[in-house]
This record gives sequence, structure tokens and C-alpha cells, in this order.
Amino acid sequence: MIPLPPRWMIFTGAIAALALVIPPVVIARVRATPDQNRAVHIFFDMDFQPKFKSQSNNPLFADGRAQRVAVAGTVAKGETKLDTHRFEGVVDGKWAETLPAGMSMSKELLARGQQRFNIYCSVCHGYAGYGDGTVNKRAMALMSSSDGPANGTSWVQAKSLHDPAVREHPLGMLYNIATNGIRNMAGYGTQIDNDDRWAIAAYVKTLQLSQNASMQDVPPEIRGNLKKAETAAAAPAADATKGGVK
Amino acid sequence: MSRFLFPRWSNLLLPTIILAAATIPVYAIFFVAYGFSPKTLEVGYQPDQPVPYSHALHAGELGIDCRYCHTSVEKAAAASVPATQTCMNCHTQIRPESPKLAKIKESYATGLPVEWSRVHKLPDFAYFDHSAHVNRGVGCVSCHGRIDKMEVVYQKSPLSMGWCLECHRNPEPNLRPTSQITNLAWDPAVELSKQEREALKTKFSIHPSQDCSTCHR
Repeated sequence: MIPLPPRWMIFTGAIAALALVIPPVVIARVRATPDQNRAVHIFFDMDFQPKFKSQSNNPLFADGRAQRVAVAGTVAKGETKLDTHRFEGVVDGKWAETLPAGMSMSKELLARGQQRFNIYCSVCHGYAGYGDGTVNKRAMALMSSSDGPANGTSWVQAKSLHDPAVREHPLGMLYNIATNGIRNMAGYGTQIDNDDRWAIAAYVKTLQLSQNASMQDVPPEIRGNLKKAETAAAAPAADATKGGVK
Repeated sequence: MSRFLFPRWSNLLLPTIILAAATIPVYAIFFVAYGFSPKTLEVGYQPDQPVPYSHALHAGELGIDCRYCHTSVEKAAAASVPATQTCMNCHTQIRPESPKLAKIKESYATGLPVEWSRVHKLPDFAYFDHSAHVNRGVGCVSCHGRIDKMEVVYQKSPLSMGWCLECHRNPEPNLRPTSQITNLAWDPAVELSKQEREALKTKFSIHPSQDCSTCHR
């Protein structure tokens, strides 16, 4: 039997061995918890270069923007919006009834309009256009809260696109509303591309037709399909107007 | 004069030293690989933001599409933080007096930007293009995680080069139809068969390059 080393040496060794467990535990904890500070960079490599990527900060300008905003009153080359049909929805002082030159009504255009409508418009107007989008519902709930409208909320029920007056709106007017807003609705001219706003206007027209259609409007060859769907119509219709569920 | 003699217990030192020499390098490798991995250092970065904006409420509960605010994601390299106007589309009327919105209102009045903290940052020598990915079947959730469940956004993925290459070498598991790009709850592993995901790869003609110059210029 070999005699053991002195007590202090065994203790030190044991403590050192146990201490090895600490770093993995610390690392596991770091991995499992969010951190408000970015990791410390010991080696910078070329991670941080003296250049500006989009939406970064440039302290040389008073507003701090690296991306400069167009000087007020200037127009970039090629961005004059003189075509009133295309950019205002107006032809000869009246609302345009047609799409601007170069665009034509097609399934693709309506599909694009539907997709963009579902992104930008459905939040208030609802997927089927009845003014029952999720944001509208929440805002209406805030309005009717028992303590009175919270934090100065002053919401007006979003317009149903199937309101008789709205159904009368010409295509150009719908485009113009999407662009510049109306009453309480903000304009979406900066958020949605110009052609997409026309596609949305075309889709809104289609949506209005679809919700006020008679059997005579349906091409005879696909009427059979509708009849089959009629019995099940209640469920998907409710689903479509519920919103929120993507 | 007495000669120095090693005590008899010092015979134990040799096996101890051999054991330590064998385990300490393994331990060190593990320590560096685990501790200095981007999964440890980069993932979980969750800076305080100037405005307590909740993605869980807006994108989750209200179901607002990602593109409602991040309008350039399909057209440009940057998904972009929205203009203050986008907030004010609704917040001119919804809770305009809320103290949480003070900085948004200030920005709206002065025209100065809200100074959001950037969460996802690539090194400056790496160039990522959102539009190239979202238009060809890589959804938001693949890199950003369930943003619609985050009160405060944190970094879900390591954004390391190895992590990028994982998908560039084998993109199929992360492909989805473009109609589901912003649907964070939609899981291609559940919804699509392997054949359907491979068909998507053909449909979008995805041949992800692993050349240096693809991302580094």
C-alpha cells in the first residue's frame, strides 16, 4: 500500500478538480439567458468598418442618419409624377375608371392585389373587407372599456368595403384612398409600391363584386362547383372574416 | 549531510500527471468550443429598446404581417426598421397619450429618427440580402425564430458563417412556399413531405453558392 500524500495536497487537488465544473455551468447559464450587452469582441478582425450600411448612424449629420433624406422641394431624376392617372387616380379631373397605361386586369394582378390587401389593409378592414380586422377589433374594445377609452384612444369603426357608398367608389378613387388615406385612415403611399396600390384597388373592386354577386355573375361552367361548396360555405366564410389566424 | 529523498507517496504523482495531461487538453478544447461558440456569445442578445414595442402583441396577437412594417424585405437587402409614420398609421388614434409612445410621438413631431438598437448584426465584411432569401422560399422564422412570441426581440440564431453554410449546403429543410414566408407558425417539416421540399428547390432553382464572394465582397 502506497502511503497517501499530505492532507492539504489531497484537498487542493479535489477543490481544483471541482472548480473545473464551474466554467461549463457558467457557459450553460449564459446560453440559457438573454443578455442586454453584445458579446465582447477581443479580436475585431474587420467586423466594424468605418462605413455605413443601411439605417446606420452617422454622427456627422445633425439628424444622425447615414441614409440621407431627400432635400425638401427636390425631385429625383425620373421621379416626376406628372401622370395624374398613374399617381393620383385622376383622368381629366374625374376619378379614373381604368388601370393606368401598361397595367391590365388579369388573374395575376388580382392575386397580387389580394396578397398586398391581406398584408396592409386586412388589419383594419378584415380579410373579406367588412371592417372587422384584428386591429379594428382591438381598438373598438379599447373604446368600450369600462374605464373609458384608454390613453386617449379615439377610434372610429373601420369602413366596411361593402358599404353602398364605398361600392360606388371608382377604381381611381380607391387607388387614391390607398395612397393618401381618407378621414381617419392614413395614406399608404410610402409603404406600398404604386403598382401594388393599383392592384389593391382592383382587388377591392373584385372583393366588392364577390360579396354582392348573384348566380348570374358566375360563368355557367363553374356554377356546379359553387353549388357543392354552398353547404360548407358558412364555415370557411366565418373563418375568412375572423382574421388573426394566418 | 542527509540526502533528499522523495517521499513514498510521490509515486502517485506520475499517474496523476498522466491523467491530467490527458484530460486537460480535452477540457480546454471543450471549453473553447462550447464557451466561445457564437451560440454562447451571440445568441440571446436582447438589448433594451427606446420604445417598449411588443412583437408578441402586434405580430402575434393582432397577426399583423411582417411586411406591414418591414416593407423592403422583398425588394432590398435590408428588411428595414419602419418609418415612424408606420407606427402612427394606427397610433394617432389608438392610445395616443400612452407614455410608452412618447418617443414615437416626439420622432413624429421633430422628424428625427427613433434610435432603435440593432439586434441582428453581421460583421461588416458579410453581405446578406433579405430579398434573395424571402423570394425564394426561406421564411422569416428560419433565422429569426418566433418573433411573434417575443415581447422584446432577441437574437435566436448564431448568424455565424458555419450556421449560414449549414443551410447553403442543405437548403431543403428550410424551404417553404412563398405564400407562407411570413407565417411564423408554419413548419415545413410538418406541412411538407421531403419530395415537396425538394420540388420547391427545383421550382425556385436554388443552387446556394458556397463561394467566398457570395457573401464577402
